[in-house]
Amino acid sequence: MNQTSRLRVENLNVFYGQNHVLKNISLSLPDNRITVIIGPSGCGKTTLLRSLNRLLDEQEGVRVEGRVFLDGQDIYQPGVDITLVRKRMGLLSQKPQVLPMSIYDNVAFGPRLLGLRDRRHLDDLVEKYLRLAGLWEEVKGRLQEPASRLSIGQQQRLCLARGLAVEPEVILGDEPTSALDPQSSRNVETQLLNLKENYTIVLVTHILRQARRLADYVAFLYFGELIEFGPASEVLISPRDSRTRAYITGEIS
Amino acid sequence: MNNEPERGIQRKLRKRLRVESFFKLLMAASTWLVLASLVLILAIILWKSLPALKLSMITRNPGSGYYLGREGGILNAILGSLQVVFGATLLALAIALPAVVFLTSYLRQKSWLAELIRFSLDVLWGIPSIVYGAFGFLIMITFHLRASLLAGMITVAMVELPILSRALEETIRLVPSDLKEATYSLGASRWQTATRVVLRQVFPGLVTAVLMAMGRGLGDAAAVLFTAGYTDKITTSLLQPVATLPLAIFFQLNSPFPEVQQRAYASAAILTVLVLFISLASRRLSRRLGRHKIS
Amino acid sequence: MSIQRLSRRDRGPELATAPFAFFPVALAGAIFLALLIKAWPLLSLKSLSSLIFSSTWLPSRGHFGLWPFILGTIWVTISAFVLAVPVAILTSLYLSEYAPARVKRIFQPILDLLAGLPSVIYGMWGVLIVVPLVSKYLAPFFGRQSSGYSILAASLVLALMILPTIISVSVEVLNSVPLALKEAALSLGATRFEVIRYVVMKKSFPGMLAACVLGLSRAFGETIAVLMVVGNVPAIPRSLFSPAYPLPALLANNYGEMMSIPGYESALNLAALLLLVIVVGFSLLARWYLVRISRRSS
Repeated sequence: MNQTSRLRVENLNVFYGQNHVLKNISLSLPDNRITVIIGPSGCGKTTLLRSLNRLLDEQEGVRVEGRVFLDGQDIYQPGVDITLVRKRMGLLSQKPQVLPMSIYDNVAFGPRLLGLRDRRHLDDLVEKYLRLAGLWEEVKGRLQEPASRLSIGQQQRLCLARGLAVEPEVILGDEPTSALDPQSSRNVETQLLNLKENYTIVLVTHILRQARRLADYVAFLYFGELIEFGPASEVLISPRDSRTRAYITGEIS
Repeated sequence: MNNEPERGIQRKLRKRLRVESFFKLLMAASTWLVLASLVLILAIILWKSLPALKLSMITRNPGSGYYLGREGGILNAILGSLQVVFGATLLALAIALPAVVFLTSYLRQKSWLAELIRFSLDVLWGIPSIVYGAFGFLIMITFHLRASLLAGMITVAMVELPILSRALEETIRLVPSDLKEATYSLGASRWQTATRVVLRQVFPGLVTAVLMAMGRGLGDAAAVLFTAGYTDKITTSLLQPVATLPLAIFFQLNSPFPEVQQRAYASAAILTVLVLFISLASRRLSRRLGRHKIS
Repeated sequence: MSIQRLSRRDRGPELATAPFAFFPVALAGAIFLALLIKAWPLLSLKSLSSLIFSSTWLPSRGHFGLWPFILGTIWVTISAFVLAVPVAILTSLYLSEYAPARVKRIFQPILDLLAGLPSVIYGMWGVLIVVPLVSKYLAPFFGRQSSGYSILAASLVLALMILPTIISVSVEVLNSVPLALKEAALSLGATRFEVIRYVVMKKSFPGMLAACVLGLSRAFGETIAVLMVVGNVPAIPRSLFSPAYPLPALLANNYGEMMSIPGYESALNLAALLLLVIVVGFSLLARWYLVRISRRSS
């Protein structure tokens, strides 16, 4: 691979108590591409994703070993500030999690955390990122309404805009369309394809067709092991491993 | 006779249904008994208070000879109770809020430290308010303070602290972890998450908890008995004694004069209305404030 | 490898909020210690058991037997509990399993209001209604004489006072029994009452117990409402119709004005300490038991 990777995983092991849920994962996630992590449910896809921005730390009884490099810096190193790591990676979760405030305040939340107070500047940012997430036209007249009144598809795009507003380099998506209707899913997928020029995107999905539509690279996880990783055309069309083939043809799920 | 067992089952079923109707009747009877006696309390207090329920009750202080049945009102006690309870609730909130933020944001739920703090709150929750009153009195003599608004506030605050903390912790625990994680992944620290998102999300619950604690503080006579003192004037300084409604009721009721006793009933009606108002306000407010809340 | 789970920016707020979280620990300790220190002069003169189990209360002669007060507390609380619990259980079962929605809608706000009604108002109601009821009807009915200011009056008032709390918590517990479980039992041919008896009651037992304990611990420490109707006579109570003098009432009547008689102050602080230990000990015991049964059932 002659791709550059600012996000690299090296010998990552994760334990939930006695359970060894991620086994010695090493992976380089190519810049400005969409990497899709697939695999049967319970294989550790979400855990892998959550280890990338250290959300795993919030769970009790979890032990992480190994390294995750972001621009050459190991984010699990002592002394690394957890909030700075997370700021560099936006997260879209399965169910959109809008914050209990207005649409405007949702997008402005990140910039305000960084101390931005200037109203005009904030206005510009809010508009910019709502446009980038493809939501501006739908909400520009009602920015002060509670975000919870948006449709669920709009909420997910709002979460996208909110995540983009902290200017991350990486976008993580944990089955971001699983709670959405087909039309909204399409919408979110389109936004992701548009965004990959400027961001490194990592998606977890259990929908193979979605992986085919979006993926530049595919990683296949099976019972906590990374079975196969490579360009989508190779992994999804002519996988080397028999387990990958079995999953793709629907024999295991 | 092959329908003999059939008949046995029938008979049994009839018996089972009789047992059911008996207990159902018993349950209904006890429900109506409870409802009737509770409504009776309210009715009797209102009815008894009618003769003395004049506007002057809530607009005037006790005049000279008030306790012999002459003119006056209990404005001093109404205002005094509100002063005590507002101060106490602010004080209790000022401790409970950061305590609960620490407990829920910085401690793991099962750590021994969290268990110790929660255990202490349980102990405090169980302490009768008369014991808080005694402790408040001991604090007063230690610091050479006399019975005063300040001492009353501190004591009532101690009574309210565990009520508030427990209610707050319960509502904060209900905040979905997904919501917190969404905030964390924007690079927010735990403090920012707690103050800007979690407290916002639980704000209606917080208001309910505060009003509930206020209601408890308002009606608590035992806590202010030795600590707040009593006065016929309106209290203007933290170090002056202060009148409170429960004590006003209690003292007037012990009077030998029927006119004064009637005023006790009227004072009780006023206190009931205040408590009712708080409980209605908490229902109304928690619905109104919930507009940003994520369900 | 120890990684930092907290951001550097969290260290300040963590340090700033920690003292507040320790405040409850300190307060609980301070209350216990303060009462113990104040009770110590008497405890160093006489043995604890002689103070607790003696029934002579003559402060002016230096006799501080607390037994009548302890018995008074226990009598009043237990009889209130015995009166309240069956009614509370029946009522909450009716409200959660049988009552039409309309009845529930009327009941809920009334219960909420009455759970928050100040105790002095219950006490007043006791003086107006319960005391005459006991002296004019109940006592003669059982062939007794009573002024009405009695354990029975106190426990009736107290029972009514803790009912709203117990009922609203119990109803919540009962409503949390999964519908599917009830439907499963109904489809086996059980009557509704049998479902309640064998499924609902079993499933919600710990929660109902917790609700009752909640009411009980409130009853133990209740002061004003009891004080107003219990008669306040420091003697060993003989029957439900005799007056009593529970610990909270003792404190309320005497605590502020105890300075002139030697030992009196100490004795009253000991009474407060005893009340504290009884109530807290009791609620901890209940908590321990609840944790045990919830562990066993899960």
